[in-house]
Amino acid sequence: MQTFHHVRTGSDVVVFAPTGAGKTLTGFINPIDDLIKFKKFKGLHTLYISPLKSLANDIVRNLEKPFKELDLNISFQVRTGDTTQYKKQKQKQKPPNILITTPESLALLNSYENAKEFFHNLKYIIIDEIHTFLDNKRADLLSLNIERLQTFSPNLQRIGLSATLKNKQDAKKWLCRKKPKIVSYENSVLPKIKILESKERIPWSGHMATYSINEIYKEIMKSKLTIIFVNTRAQAEYMFKNLWLINKKKLKIAVHHGSLEKNLRLKVENNLSKGLVDCVVATSSLELGLDYGDVEKIIQVGAPKGINRLLQRVGRSNHNLNTPSKAILVPTNRFEFIEAKAAIEEIKKNNLDKIDLKEGSFDVVAQHIFATACAGQFDINDLYKEIIKAYPYKKLKLNDFKQLINLIQDGGYVLKNYDQFKRIFQLRENKNIYKLVNRRETRKYRMNVGTIIENPMLKIKLGTKTLGNIEEVFIQNLSQGDSFIFAGQVLEFQSMKNNLVQVKRSKSLISKIPSYSGGRMPLSTNLANSVRALLAKSNMWESYPEQITEWLKRQKNISKIPKKDEYLVEQFPRKKNFYTVIYTFAGWHANQTLGFLLLRGFKELNYKPLGFVANDYAIVLWSLKEVKEIKTILNLGLLDKHLDNYLEETSIVKRLFRDNAIISCLIERRLPGIEKTGKQVLFSSDLIYTVLKKNEPDHILLKSSYEDAKKNMIDYDRLREILKKIDKKIILNKLTCISPLAVPIILEINRENLSKKETDEYILEDLENEILKEANVLSIN
Amino acid sequence: MYYQLINFGNEEFHAYPNKSLYWKRLNTLIVSDLHIGKSISYARNKQFLPPYDTKEILNKIFVSLDKIKPSNLIIVGDLLHDVFSALSIKDQDYKNLSQYTKNTNFIWIKGNHDKNIQIEGFKNFTNYKIGKFLFTHMPIKTSLFQICGHYHPKVKIVHRGKTIFKTSFVHNEKIFILPSFGILTGGLDVYSKQISDVLGKNNLSIYPVGQDKVYKFKLK
Repeated sequence: MQTFHHVRTGSDVVVFAPTGAGKTLTGFINPIDDLIKFKKFKGLHTLYISPLKSLANDIVRNLEKPFKELDLNISFQVRTGDTTQYKKQKQKQKPPNILITTPESLALLNSYENAKEFFHNLKYIIIDEIHTFLDNKRADLLSLNIERLQTFSPNLQRIGLSATLKNKQDAKKWLCRKKPKIVSYENSVLPKIKILESKERIPWSGHMATYSINEIYKEIMKSKLTIIFVNTRAQAEYMFKNLWLINKKKLKIAVHHGSLEKNLRLKVENNLSKGLVDCVVATSSLELGLDYGDVEKIIQVGAPKGINRLLQRVGRSNHNLNTPSKAILVPTNRFEFIEAKAAIEEIKKNNLDKIDLKEGSFDVVAQHIFATACAGQFDINDLYKEIIKAYPYKKLKLNDFKQLINLIQDGGYVLKNYDQFKRIFQLRENKNIYKLVNRRETRKYRMNVGTIIENPMLKIKLGTKTLGNIEEVFIQNLSQGDSFIFAGQVLEFQSMKNNLVQVKRSKSLISKIPSYSGGRMPLSTNLANSVRALLAKSNMWESYPEQITEWLKRQKNISKIPKKDEYLVEQFPRKKNFYTVIYTFAGWHANQTLGFLLLRGFKELNYKPLGFVANDYAIVLWSLKEVKEIKTILNLGLLDKHLDNYLEETSIVKRLFRDNAIISCLIERRLPGIEKTGKQVLFSSDLIYTVLKKNEPDHILLKSSYEDAKKNMIDYDRLREILKKIDKKIILNKLTCISPLAVPIILEINRENLSKKETDEYILEDLENEILKEANVLSIN
Repeated sequence: MYYQLINFGNEEFHAYPNKSLYWKRLNTLIVSDLHIGKSISYARNKQFLPPYDTKEILNKIFVSLDKIKPSNLIIVGDLLHDVFSALSIKDQDYKNLSQYTKNTNFIWIKGNHDKNIQIEGFKNFTNYKIGKFLFTHMPIKTSLFQICGHYHPKVKIVHRGKTIFKTSFVHNEKIFILPSFGILTGGLDVYSKQISDVLGKNNLSIYPVGQDKVYKFKLK
C-alpha cells in the first residue's frame, strides 16, 4: 500500500522485496487502478520491462486469470523478439493498454518514425528485476531509452522492482527523477542453508565435485524436487553425466543451460513447473523470476561467489514468503568450504553485496544515436541534453558525444576519406540537425540492436533435430570421430557445414566437455572480506570437518594464518624454482591482472620469472631466482607502469573491441539477407583493431574498449584499492617448503601464460620441430 | 628478412613473411591480391573500415621494392578491390609508384576484382608466361607450372589442444597459390572445397606465415 500511495502522489519508486513476495503485482496496482477509473483508455498506458523473454511470457500468463475473473476491460500484450511480424504490426496500429517487453524491443520501438505518437500518452514504466540492470551495457541501453520515453511523455512515472540490495540508494539514483522514494520489504523468514556433510575427502583443488556425487544423489532422493545450481555450463554437463552414471533408482533428471535449444529449455521448464521431474541441473539460466512452486531444495555445487547470487538461487525453492527456502552447499575444494561457510554467515547477518554502478559505455551511445536517426531527423544538442539525464551518462563529455556522432556518420576517422559515403548527414541550413541518408539504413540498425554479444556459436544438429549452440572455438579443436558431451548426451562429431555441426550418438566413454569462455564470475568483495575474517577466526575451526580443521591447523604451525586485514606472502623453493604466493582474496579478474603486473615487475628486477597462476584467492609466481624485494614492488606504481602493456599483450582490449565495434554498429553482426559467421566478424574486427591501433590510437572506439576493460575485465578499481594500502600490511613468510594453504593454487599450475601472439609462434615452431624430427631432416633455414 | 626456400617446378623461390614471393634467378618479385581500396568499397555500403589500408599496402610494397630492387614486379591479380578503390590512391602515391616503374618492370595481371579497371601508365595482362611458368589470377587448363592468387589461402593448425589459423603459401606439383598481400582481407582454408577443387587434397606443401618467419609443412 505504501507503494500505491507514493506512486499516486507522483513519486518515482523503487520497491525492494525478497523473491516470492509478489513484487511483480505490486507494480501493476497503480496502472490498473488508473485504467479502471479512466474506463476505455485509448492507446498505450503502461510499459513493463522484463530482463528475460521467458519472464515476459510468464507475466502475461499470470495476468490473464485475474483480469478475466474480474472482467477488466484492459488490454495487455507481450512484445519480444519472438513476437510475429504480424502481431507487431497490429500492436503498432492498435496499441494495448499494457505492453510487456524487453529492453531491446523497447529500443526498437523507439527507433520507429511514429515512436513519439505511440508513447505520448504513456503513464507508467515498470522495470522488473531492476537489480539485474544496474551494472552492465543493457542497463545503459535501457537508461537511454527511458529518458527518450520521458521526453515523449513528460508525465511518465517510473516504478522499479528489485530483489533486496545493499545499496538501495544507488538503484534509486539510477531510476528515479520525480520525488524519489524507496519502499522496502525485508525477509521475515531466513533461508535454511547448510554445507553438505561429506564423509569423503574434500579435494585440494578442482571444481567438479566428483567426490560427493553419491551424497548429492542421496539428497536428491530425499526431496520431491531439487534444482542443482552449478557455476558453468561445462560443470552442468559434467554433473548431469555423473548423476546418470549412478542413477539406479531411475530418477528423472534433466539439464538446463543457456546454450541449449529454446525448445529443449522450454520442455525442461515446463516439466519443472508441473513437477514432472525429480531434479534439474542448471546454470544461472534458471536463476531469475520464473515461479516453480514445488521446488523443495536447492543444491549449490561450487563456490557461491557472491551473497546476492546465492540468495537469488536459494530463493528458487519454496517460492513463497512463509516457508523458508532450503539449500545445501557443496564446496568442490577446500577454499570453497571456507567461502561457503562465510556466505552462510553473511546471509544470517543479511549483509548483502553492493552492486557497483558504472559509468555508461560509449558504444551503447553510438547505437542509440543510430536508433535516434532511424526515428527521424534530430538536433544533436537536444539529444545530448537528453542523454546526460540518464544516470550512467551524467558525466558524458560533449566532446566524446560529438566523436560518437562522427562514428555513426562515417566511422569517425581523422582521415576524411568517406565524405561521400555518410550514414547520417548535417542539414545545410542547420548544422545541428542530422538526418539519415537513406531509409534502407534502418534495416541495418534493426538487425543489430542490443548489447549482448555471444561468442561465435555454431548450431548442433543430431539428425534433423537442433540440440543447441556450441562455441566455434570448441568445435575447431575436434576432429571427425571425437566425442563430446552436450545436452546430457555423448555425441560424436561428424562434420561441419554452413555453421551447422552434424553429430550422431556415441557410446564412447572418453569424451570432452565444451567449455564456454564467458561468465567466469569473480568472488565479490563483500564475500572475500568475509572469507578473510572467517579464516582468521581460529576458534571456529573445531566446528569444521576434521580435514578442514587439520588443514588450517597445519598452516598455522608451518606458516601463518593472515589476520582479517593482512596480506600473507609466502616464499619457498620447490624443485629447481623459487615460488612466491600472495593471498589477496581479490577475486579472479584482479588477481589475474596482478599476476601479470608482478611478472613484469619481476622481469625488470631480473628475478627471471617463468610464469604465474591466479584464482579467486591467491596468486602464485615462480621464478629462477629468489625474489627479494616483494614489499618494494607491490604498490600502485606497479599498476601505473605495466597496465597498458598488460591490456595489449593479453589481447583483452582487442577482444572487447569486437563487442564495441558490433554494438556501435561500426561492423555488423548481421546484414539483411546474409548471416555472417562468427569467425568473419571476429576476423575483421581484429584487423580493424590492429590498423586503428597503429594509425589512430585516439579513436573513440579504442578509448571505449579500454574503458570497458578497466570496468569489467581487470577489476581496476578493486586492484587499485588493494595496492594503495597493501605495502604496509604484507606479512612476509619465508619457508623451506610449500605450505598447506598454498597447495590448492600450486595444483592449478598447468595453464599456459603466453600471450596469443607468443602462443601462435610457439605452436608453429613446436609442430615444425616435431615434423622435422619425424622426417629426420634438418631445418632448411 | 628471413625467408623460406620453396622448390617449385625445379626452380627456387623465396617466401617472405610479408607474403611476397621472390624468384631470385630472374630477380622477380611476385605479390597477389592487394585489394587496394577495400575500405572505400565497404564505406559505400556504410561499413566504415579504417581508411588506412591503401597507404599501408603501398608502403609495404615500397619497402619491399627498396630492399630487393627487383627487375620485375608481378602482381597476380586483384591489385585493386573495385572501380572506386582507385579513388583512395593519392596523387603523391601515384608519383611514388611511377618513380619505381623506372627501375622495375610492373606486370599487372588482372583479377576478378580489377578486370575492368585501367590505371594510366600501367600495362596489364590476363596472364603472363615466363619459360615453363604461367602467371595468372586463377589457374587455367595448361601443362605449364602456374603461379596464381585469388584464394587467399590459410591453414588451420590443431596442435596440443590449440587451434590457430595462419595465412599460407600453398602448392601442389603444378599449381602455386600466393597468400593475399592486402591488409583488410580474409582467408580461405586450404582444405576448403574451392581450393581442393584446384589443388586436390593430397601432397600439398603448405607454408604458414608467422610473425617474422615462414614455416614449412608437408601434409598428406
